[in-house]
Amino acid sequence: MFYSVQKKQITTYNRRTFFLFLLKLSLFTAVGWRIYNIQILDSSKYKTLSKKNQIDLEIIFPLRGKIFDRNSILIADNEKVYDVYLIPENTKSINNTLNTLSKFIDIDFANRRKIIQLTSKVKKFEKIKIFENISWSILEKIETNKYNLEGIFIAEDHLRIYPYKEVFSHLLGYISKPNQQELSLPFISKMPNLDIGKEGLEKSFNPLLVGKAGQREIEVNSTGRVIREISKVDSIQGKELHLSLDSRIQEYAVNLLKSYRAGSINVINIKNGEILCMASTPTYDPNKIIKKPNKEYWDSILSNSLSPLTNRSLQGLYSPGSTFKMIVAIAALKYGVISSESTHSCSGKIEFGDRLYHCWKTNGHGKMNVTNAITQSCDVFFYEVSKKLGIDKIAKVAEDFGLGQIFDISMPNQKKGIIPSKKWKKNTLGESWYAGETLISGIGQGFVLTSPFQLAVMTSIIASDGKIVEPTILKSKNINFKTNSKYLDEIKIVKKAMFNVVNVNKGTAFKSRLQDVKFSGKTGTSQVRSISLSERESDEFRKKKQEWKNRDHALFVGYIPYDDPQYAISVIIEHGGSGASTAAPIAKQVFNYIHKLNL
Amino acid sequence: MIFQKLKNLNYLLIFLLILLSFIGAAGLYSAADGSYQPWASRHLIRFYVFLLIAIVISTIDIKLIYKYCYLLFIISLLLLISVEVIGVLGKGATRWIRIFGLSIQPSEIVKITIILALAKFYNDIKFENVKKISYLFFPFLILIIPFIFVVIQPDLGTSLSIIMLGIFILFIVGVRLWKFILGFIATIISIPILLQFIKPYQRERIISFLNPESDPLGQGYQLIQSKIALGSGGATGKGFMQGTQSYLEYLPEKQTDFIFTLIGEEFGFLGTIFIICLFILLIAVCYFISIKCFHSFGKILALGVASNIFIYVFMNVAMVSGLMPVVGIPLPLISYGGSVMLSIMISMGLVLNVDLNYNLKKLNNA
Repeated sequence: MFYSVQKKQITTYNRRTFFLFLLKLSLFTAVGWRIYNIQILDSSKYKTLSKKNQIDLEIIFPLRGKIFDRNSILIADNEKVYDVYLIPENTKSINNTLNTLSKFIDIDFANRRKIIQLTSKVKKFEKIKIFENISWSILEKIETNKYNLEGIFIAEDHLRIYPYKEVFSHLLGYISKPNQQELSLPFISKMPNLDIGKEGLEKSFNPLLVGKAGQREIEVNSTGRVIREISKVDSIQGKELHLSLDSRIQEYAVNLLKSYRAGSINVINIKNGEILCMASTPTYDPNKIIKKPNKEYWDSILSNSLSPLTNRSLQGLYSPGSTFKMIVAIAALKYGVISSESTHSCSGKIEFGDRLYHCWKTNGHGKMNVTNAITQSCDVFFYEVSKKLGIDKIAKVAEDFGLGQIFDISMPNQKKGIIPSKKWKKNTLGESWYAGETLISGIGQGFVLTSPFQLAVMTSIIASDGKIVEPTILKSKNINFKTNSKYLDEIKIVKKAMFNVVNVNKGTAFKSRLQDVKFSGKTGTSQVRSISLSERESDEFRKKKQEWKNRDHALFVGYIPYDDPQYAISVIIEHGGSGASTAAPIAKQVFNYIHKLNL
Repeated sequence: MIFQKLKNLNYLLIFLLILLSFIGAAGLYSAADGSYQPWASRHLIRFYVFLLIAIVISTIDIKLIYKYCYLLFIISLLLLISVEVIGVLGKGATRWIRIFGLSIQPSEIVKITIILALAKFYNDIKFENVKKISYLFFPFLILIIPFIFVVIQPDLGTSLSIIMLGIFILFIVGVRLWKFILGFIATIISIPILLQFIKPYQRERIISFLNPESDPLGQGYQLIQSKIALGSGGATGKGFMQGTQSYLEYLPEKQTDFIFTLIGEEFGFLGTIFIICLFILLIAVCYFISIKCFHSFGKILALGVASNIFIYVFMNVAMVSGLMPVVGIPLPLISYGGSVMLSIMISMGLVLNVDLNYNLKKLNNA
């Protein structure tokens, strides 16, 4: 009995073991057959698939960051545009498609030939861009007739757009394809075709504005046709930029300047250094540079002798003329060359060395103290003062007031200008300083060269009683400036004089005074060429109409309100005549406009 | 005594193990673009260490192993549960536990102790009792408890292989066929209920398996790429280190679950069939040992181990060739991974042990 059970058990074991082994074998046969199918029967199919399999990386370009003015008004935006593409393989006849398309969009013969040539060059499935930035009406027509337009499709793109056109051009600059050097910049490494800022703030804030590229992993076959998308990482738009500029003032200033061939207006908020306006003319429309074709426009810009690409506010250098007299006065008072009461008599000219130095008022101003000398802009007084002072002390004070330096305002290619000193002349020209040059420098002529923006900063520092105003182009709050208390007393005297310039009868800018709100300032007229003795003696030369390029530059610097200065301005009109007649009225208009804006 | 045992070891079995692990090392070398780092050298070192362990196991007194079967099962079960608990506490699903600097997957070890426990159980009961339903309760527990813990990890592949392993062993010991059929029907009925408990990503895997094109980026992508790699290998393959699919990074997990594909691409149909034949031979050797053995414990043990290997190989090859969903089952001795290799080598040590002690009549009165 026991034996038979055991025997039965062993029989069951063996039989079932055998069956199980057979089962496993058959299952292995099944997978073996499957493998045979894949590796032998369908091998050729998979071999071609394997060759075709390739992964491409497509870069998704980020949208450029928008730029706003201080009141969040868009001044640089990205506009959706539509491009027309043709895919040769999707149409039976390219000619038929182009014929139909020509009903909606003008295709001239040359263009048509180019398209057809292109289609024979590229791969059949590749898309060819045939029109860029088409208008809405054309887009509408193409979309409604889509079914008749085999092989045509429309894709979206983005175009940088500057809604204020030429108003901000020097500040913002424009964007364009990077050049060979720029390709190595870290933020564009992956995107050689991305437009980047080439000038102005678009250039300095490139790393911020560019954003982050996204990417699409796509599988393509051996011929490059996209089979499918594998993964996608979206791009990240560049950061927004909020500027200190006020588009209303900027636009107003540019419009004022349009009455003249060339000039610059700069307005700074003295309290926090914010630049409200930095206008320079002639200007250009960056939209026209970006939109292709732009060759004609480029040529017109480059051939313009007034060089519209130059930002005169920062890159234009002018003799500051009489606007420099504040610096000389402060230096003279500081170094004890004069007191507030000491006087010099002006007879219209003084002799120094073997030369005559003339005052603008041929008949002379008579007895002048420093306040009157600034108010009436007496040249002789300043000749006398600078003669005693010496150039190096003037230079020292000029630098303390922001002249001869560039500012940390993210604007590329600023010019330093020249604040001459003995050392400077020795170093750059290799010559020693002549005393006569000090006299000329004392009235802001000769070697002295400043940019209009430097003059605005200088005015801000004077107006704020020596606060070292650090200008900024970005909207900012609560900037605590250091104060240079060295010149407190001197500044007080000069500010009084600047008030008189505008608000007393004899002041050079008396005609430009405002009734509602009083401002202070200083006119300047900088000579472009020296006036010969014969001309001077003819006594008629100032009234005579001169050739434009020989006329004096007209300057004005000032601040408003006179008692609690809020805004500083500098105005330069190239070859505009005299500061009193041309620049001061412009400053008045701008101040009036700002006052009415009630910021 | 020891030397006698070493002399009588089944060297055919050991040779097959060495051959397979070398093939694995070659594949891993190729997967690493022609480098022993990071996989091939470690693979071989592990193999030799584990082979030593296997030989040690083969020389242990089989009666001792027999005696502690249930204890071993319970220990491995506790390890499995502890992984679950650590996973919960550590706020992350995990399948691993670190022992002696080795990352161990208790679910792999538990498969071996299931075989041991079932072998002991069926060795002890009388044959006529096998038929009785009441005697099915204990084996059911042995299978279902680890199964549940593996399912909640969640590890679809391993839980499936535990069930298959159980079915094979129960079939061998003589459980009536109608019970399997009944169990099968019960499973079919309970599938909709089980689907409620299945995690979303597992459901996705099944859907993606049924229609790979529906998810070309995920599981389906792996399958398509795997098939392209295998198919482009053709009859004789592209040659060692010449596979393009694997190098273009098309092939996912090429060093673990998809190593078979890589070998298939480089050595073609000849290579894949050769590997399958080696495994069939390995399984056949285990079967031979099972049949030869006098005692039920050894018979069931050897057969269980053979079935375990069969399940690995079958599921892996079926998976990479698109016959089965991608469930994450490696190819034993060839895929990179210490846990599976350790479990395989321990089980091989047990089979070698059975082979050495095939002529024992009884184990329980030791």
